[in-house]
Amino acid sequence: MLQRIRRTFAEEQRPQYSFSTPTRQERSLLRTLRTRITTRVVALAAAAAVLIGLALLVLIVAVSGQRKAAETAFASQDAVSVANDLEKSLISIENALGRYVATRQEKYLVPVRSALRTYPKQQNELARLVSDDPGQQQRVRQIGGAIDDYADLWVRILIDIVRQDGFGKAADQIETDGGRSRLDPIRRNFARLFERERTVIREREDSAASMSQLAINFGIGGLGLVFILATGFTIYLRRSVVRPVLEVADATGRVAAGDLATRVPSDRVDELGDLARGFNSMADTLQRGRDELEYSNAELMRSNAELEQFASVTSHDLQAPLTTISMYAELLERRRAPEADGEGPDLVEGIREATQQARALIRDLLEYSRAGRGRLTLEEIPAAKIVDQALEALAGAIEQSGAHVTVGEMPTVLADRANLCRVIQNLVGNAVKFTGDKTPRVRIDAERDNGLWRFSVRDNGIGMKPEHTARIFEPFHRLHGEEEYPGTGIGLAVCQRIIDQHGGRIWVSSNPGQGSVFQFTLPAVEPPAERSQPNRGAPVRAKA
Amino acid sequence: MRCTAALAVLAALTLVLGGCGGGDSEPSPDTPAPAKKPIRIGTKNFTEQFILGELYSQALEAKGFDVEPKGEIGSTEITHRALTSGSLDMYPEYIGILLSEIADVTDRPGSTAAAYKLAKAYEERRNYTLLEPTPFSNVNALAVKPAYARRHKLRSIADLKRLKGPLRLAALPEFRNRYEGMIGLRDRYGLRNLRMTALEDSAQRYPRLDSGKVDVTVAFSTDGQLVGRRYRLLSDPRGVFGAGQVAPVIHRDVLKAHGPGVAQAIDAVSATLTTNVVRRMNKAVEIDGRKPAQVAKEFLRSHGLVG
Repeated sequence: MLQRIRRTFAEEQRPQYSFSTPTRQERSLLRTLRTRITTRVVALAAAAAVLIGLALLVLIVAVSGQRKAAETAFASQDAVSVANDLEKSLISIENALGRYVATRQEKYLVPVRSALRTYPKQQNELARLVSDDPGQQQRVRQIGGAIDDYADLWVRILIDIVRQDGFGKAADQIETDGGRSRLDPIRRNFARLFERERTVIREREDSAASMSQLAINFGIGGLGLVFILATGFTIYLRRSVVRPVLEVADATGRVAAGDLATRVPSDRVDELGDLARGFNSMADTLQRGRDELEYSNAELMRSNAELEQFASVTSHDLQAPLTTISMYAELLERRRAPEADGEGPDLVEGIREATQQARALIRDLLEYSRAGRGRLTLEEIPAAKIVDQALEALAGAIEQSGAHVTVGEMPTVLADRANLCRVIQNLVGNAVKFTGDKTPRVRIDAERDNGLWRFSVRDNGIGMKPEHTARIFEPFHRLHGEEEYPGTGIGLAVCQRIIDQHGGRIWVSSNPGQGSVFQFTLPAVEPPAERSQPNRGAPVRAKA
Repeated sequence: MRCTAALAVLAALTLVLGGCGGGDSEPSPDTPAPAKKPIRIGTKNFTEQFILGELYSQALEAKGFDVEPKGEIGSTEITHRALTSGSLDMYPEYIGILLSEIADVTDRPGSTAAAYKLAKAYEERRNYTLLEPTPFSNVNALAVKPAYARRHKLRSIADLKRLKGPLRLAALPEFRNRYEGMIGLRDRYGLRNLRMTALEDSAQRYPRLDSGKVDVTVAFSTDGQLVGRRYRLLSDPRGVFGAGQVAPVIHRDVLKAHGPGVAQAIDAVSATLTTNVVRRMNKAVEIDGRKPAQVAKEFLRSHGLVG
């Protein structure tokens, strides 16, 4: 019934959220649209690549054109050079032939024969160099034919006339200027060829310059385009991607700082929209979880308070009737003692012992319920004094058991005096109690452990199995029977509550027959240094 | 590989057997004739030769022969050597010049026919031949201005010997060392007073005479300038200048290669060339400034020799 009431209450108190899961159609639409940012990025990259590629293509075409124009210009220059050489060869032939006939010296025939051998190669080279210009090819063919005629129908024949008819006849032919009349049209053709090639060179140079300018323009344009695209892309990424991501990151930080009400805009229908929706969903879940946790904590605290109140009230209220029963048992024992047949006193004793045991149990329960509940009164106190108080409180038990208790150097700690005394008292009391047949030997020490003081209470008692070392701090948990070792099993639970309240930790390490070492930590008191130092001057006290 | 070798052996056997069996056989009419080379027609370096070259070239082309004109080669000495060196296939030559300057025949034959026969025999010994001669005759001559002739009472070349002092003569350079030139004039007329001025171009002859720079010039009897009575030709009673008919000199292999059509086409043109006709054509070019090709074309058309 109580649980049902609580569930109902929890459901009423549980916050309601407006976040709704997308339908299948919505998810499909989202999947379709999700690619928009990717598509846009890919489309932008592709467009940039195409534009840059086009710019590079035009650049390559321009550079190729420039190179081709330069090559053509070079070829034209070579053609002019070769044609020049060829024309000079012809002139040198004519001049040498004239000198040969005039002087009748064979030496002048040497360059003629040499030129006659070499001019076909020059002709072929010239034809190759103008092979890209049909008009020039035709002109070179005409020149070649005319040169062949000049060589065959004039030069060689004139030499033949010299050989057969003598220099006189040859001189007559020279006088007719037949060679010149053949060379003149050739030279006019050469002049036209030169003019054409120079025109080609000018055109190619202009073309190369134009291509070069085009290449430069496109290079600059391409760089500008790359800059504009990069800038635009950066701005786009910053606005469309980076900024939303930063908003989510900022919101994540706020959530991490505890502001679970933080949300980010999630109206986009792309990947970032998914991210925002995922973030908001996560924040919703976290907020819902925290609300539920807070609700559970509140419920738990309220339940604990009720239980503790119940235990406190119960134990307090039970004290009075038990006291009354105990008192009446004593009166009955006292009044009926003479008439008793021997059994009466034992029965009354039984009632009284049971009542005392119930009272002890209720007292311990009350102590446990109060332990850790009250406000701590922390003060810097020398641990040695607390230990002394505890040992004095246990003086009877120590003396009765013949225990030998030694105390090492104790520091000054920040603790609640009464509670710390109770812890020491419980631990030393246990050490004295669980001894078996041995004479108890107890050693109390304190060591610095980083920012803490670690206290230890070491005994040579009966010890315990390691698997029991955790459970003995549970309330009313006992490892031995009441007859063997009296007690309620609440002491260590109280110790744990007190140490927890101080922000420390308590644990035990033990083995059967080898004694136990109970340790707990307390925050150290920092400078002034002398206060945190152990009480070097304090003598080791021993209680026997 | 084996297949290729077998084919090669089969082809070789076919060639051998074909060679054995076909030694005396004529080529099959279906066998395409090898491509014939164009007929290279040369001319000497003056107007009449240019016109003759065009006449023969256009007539041959009209008959479907491929022709390669090689104009303005030079004097006879140059042009004939071009023919014999293989650079030409034919050119029109003057029979008298051919005999005196090429065949070294200084004794004049008794008639034009004898001169032609002699010249043809000379060329055929060297595997050339002469086609039919033209009716017109273009002989070399010496021309003077009519006033000069009257003043010195000049009628023949022999009259020049009476003149005192040097006689200035305009001629083409080859005239100096030709028998039909300075050599013959000295030899047959005893002219020692001639001082020759060599001209680069035959067209300069009459202007030189007109301007008084020379007293006498070498003329061709068919010169267009001789139409009318502006110049007087001196007679050549001792026959220094030989027969002036033109006969195309041609390589006999060309005639064989191209068939009888070549000679027929050329002879048909030659037969129409009378002195008046040639002189008019020379005048049309030299004086009227027309192109030889155009003049020749009109003439051939008018005679039905081209379409």
